[in-house]
Amino acid sequence: MLTVKGLEVCVDGRSIVRGVDLSVGSNELHVIIGPNGSGKSTLLAAIMGLSRVNICGGSIIFEGSDITHMPSYERAKLGIALAHQNPPSIKGVKFSEVVRNLIKRCGCSDYTITSKMLRVDEFMQRDLFVGFSGGERKRAELYLVMLQNPKLALLDEPDSGVDLESLNLIAEAINLLVRRGSSVVLVTHSGSILSKLYRVNRVHLMLGGTIVYSGLADEVIPLVFKHGFKKAAEILGKVLSGG
Amino acid sequence: MNRELIKALEKPSPFGPDIDLSNYVLGEPKIHDKLEVGDDFIKASSRVGLEDDSKLNYVQIDESAMYDALRESLRKYNVRILPLKKALEEFTYVKDLVWRLVRPDLDKYTAANYLYGGELGYFIYVPPHTKVPIPIYSCLAITTNNKLQLAHNVVYVDEGSEVQVVTGCLVPHGIKSGLHVGVSEFYVGRNAKLTFAMIHAWSEGVHVRPRTGVRVYAGGEYVSYYIIYSPVASLQTYPTITLDFSSKASSSSVIAGSGEGVYDVGTKVILEGDSSSAELISKVIAKDSADIYARSDITAETVGKGHVECLGLLLSPKSKISSIPALTSKKPGAILSHEAAIGVIAQEELEYLMSKGFKEDEAKSIIIRGFIDIDMRSIPLTVKSEINKVLDLIARNAATT
Repeated sequence: MLTVKGLEVCVDGRSIVRGVDLSVGSNELHVIIGPNGSGKSTLLAAIMGLSRVNICGGSIIFEGSDITHMPSYERAKLGIALAHQNPPSIKGVKFSEVVRNLIKRCGCSDYTITSKMLRVDEFMQRDLFVGFSGGERKRAELYLVMLQNPKLALLDEPDSGVDLESLNLIAEAINLLVRRGSSVVLVTHSGSILSKLYRVNRVHLMLGGTIVYSGLADEVIPLVFKHGFKKAAEILGKVLSGG
Repeated sequence: MNRELIKALEKPSPFGPDIDLSNYVLGEPKIHDKLEVGDDFIKASSRVGLEDDSKLNYVQIDESAMYDALRESLRKYNVRILPLKKALEEFTYVKDLVWRLVRPDLDKYTAANYLYGGELGYFIYVPPHTKVPIPIYSCLAITTNNKLQLAHNVVYVDEGSEVQVVTGCLVPHGIKSGLHVGVSEFYVGRNAKLTFAMIHAWSEGVHVRPRTGVRVYAGGEYVSYYIIYSPVASLQTYPTITLDFSSKASSSSVIAGSGEGVYDVGTKVILEGDSSSAELISKVIAKDSADIYARSDITAETVGKGHVECLGLLLSPKSKISSIPALTSKKPGAILSHEAAIGVIAQEELEYLMSKGFKEDEAKSIIIRGFIDIDMRSIPLTVKSEINKVLDLIARNAATT
């Protein structure tokens, strides 16, 4: 479904993502884990086609089409959706207004179930993300992604800065997203959500703008939790080189 | 008096471009006691959300006034609606209401209206303790090029009554020049409430000079919504609202400027009675080469409260917005405040919405629609939906380059 080859991404002339290869199959859930500043969010922004990042090398292929230089709204129409890590507060724009527009465009049929699941009904009449708590913000943003009925959902730190109750709701929604058939690329630095997910197909460890190791969750996550990112990368690197 | 007024015909307004009145043609005022409008007018009135002619109570096309004083829906409330000229002939008390809140010698536009207007325009009277649930609609249009349209409107809402008045002013597509001078005097009785919505849709060559005075008696409330969304040659208005004891006023203006027009729109409030209060809100968007001045002025003669808010959004590098708030307190204890901000559409907001699948124009339209949203809690559903329709149109137009 998604093939990223040798991707180089710059922000304000500075290279942030270097030589990333990533391949995500249909209905797979991939996790990209790494410390703050390792380029995870920039990688997702590049796959989504956000204008604040500049793709300076490599390619992004989605369902056989080269989308490397396609604007974000066209990628969204192809079925890619991004849950932003910090969606902006937009005064005057009602949350319900964006919801209404997305339902109209994407024809999502189970929006009532997902709105109840993520408990977003209560802030429908509020301005988009204005005064939202951390948990409300993440739940609302994930809800908008689910309304897009995406073939590929890019979830940028859906578990950061949220309370336990919100974390459970978010994990439940991601599990539903996968059950509905979406592919998911989930970025996290804390990994707090991972134990609540029913299925993780692949975990990619990202450091210094590069994916340094890709493997199974049981192989990578315990090492990261035990030794931290760098040490885990060293250990996994030795495994990779047969050392 | 007339000699002074003839002198006043040379008196420019302190604000806005000066207009040479002799460039415009004024016809003979006519009154028809039947309200029949053609398809062209109905089509044009959709520009201000008033395409349903069955609800119009007063229409003035150029210098022809048409009215229907016997609208079934309003008859049971004993509301009087008729051209001011007829009201002056029929009811002696009306002469005490005209030219009291707006001085005829204020400037050349009011002087022309006084001398040559023939008191066309509407008169609305709501008897005491009458809550009128149905809005009263009127529409004024210039349909001939180079026309000077003069209108004088008087509304008196008597003690304890409530009414909503909606007025649309427009030109149909194809009208290239004209001058509209509308004088309005509104009286809001003790504990009464007047909600007044005015929607303007003009064209590039039309100059507009509304002159408005409002008096709110003790415990009364005046709520104003003003929307202008079309190009104009120039628009200059600065209504004055005087508040008695414990009365209040709120004014929300949406000024969507485009083309090369000058929009000079203000509101002045005088807190004359203790415990009176006012809130003035302006949402301003400017595209093309529009030059917009958003003025507001609250003067506290006594202990009252006033707040001014002006938010501006520049949509093109050639447009200009000036926010000019003035607060004057003459009494310790009065609380006056203002906030103003002028900016552009945040790239981050645009990028966010585009990532949700909205094209750039659609994303801009959503942001602009949110920006110009105004609090309409106190107005009836029908008026709300008409205003929303116009605000949706403004957002769509403003987003396209």
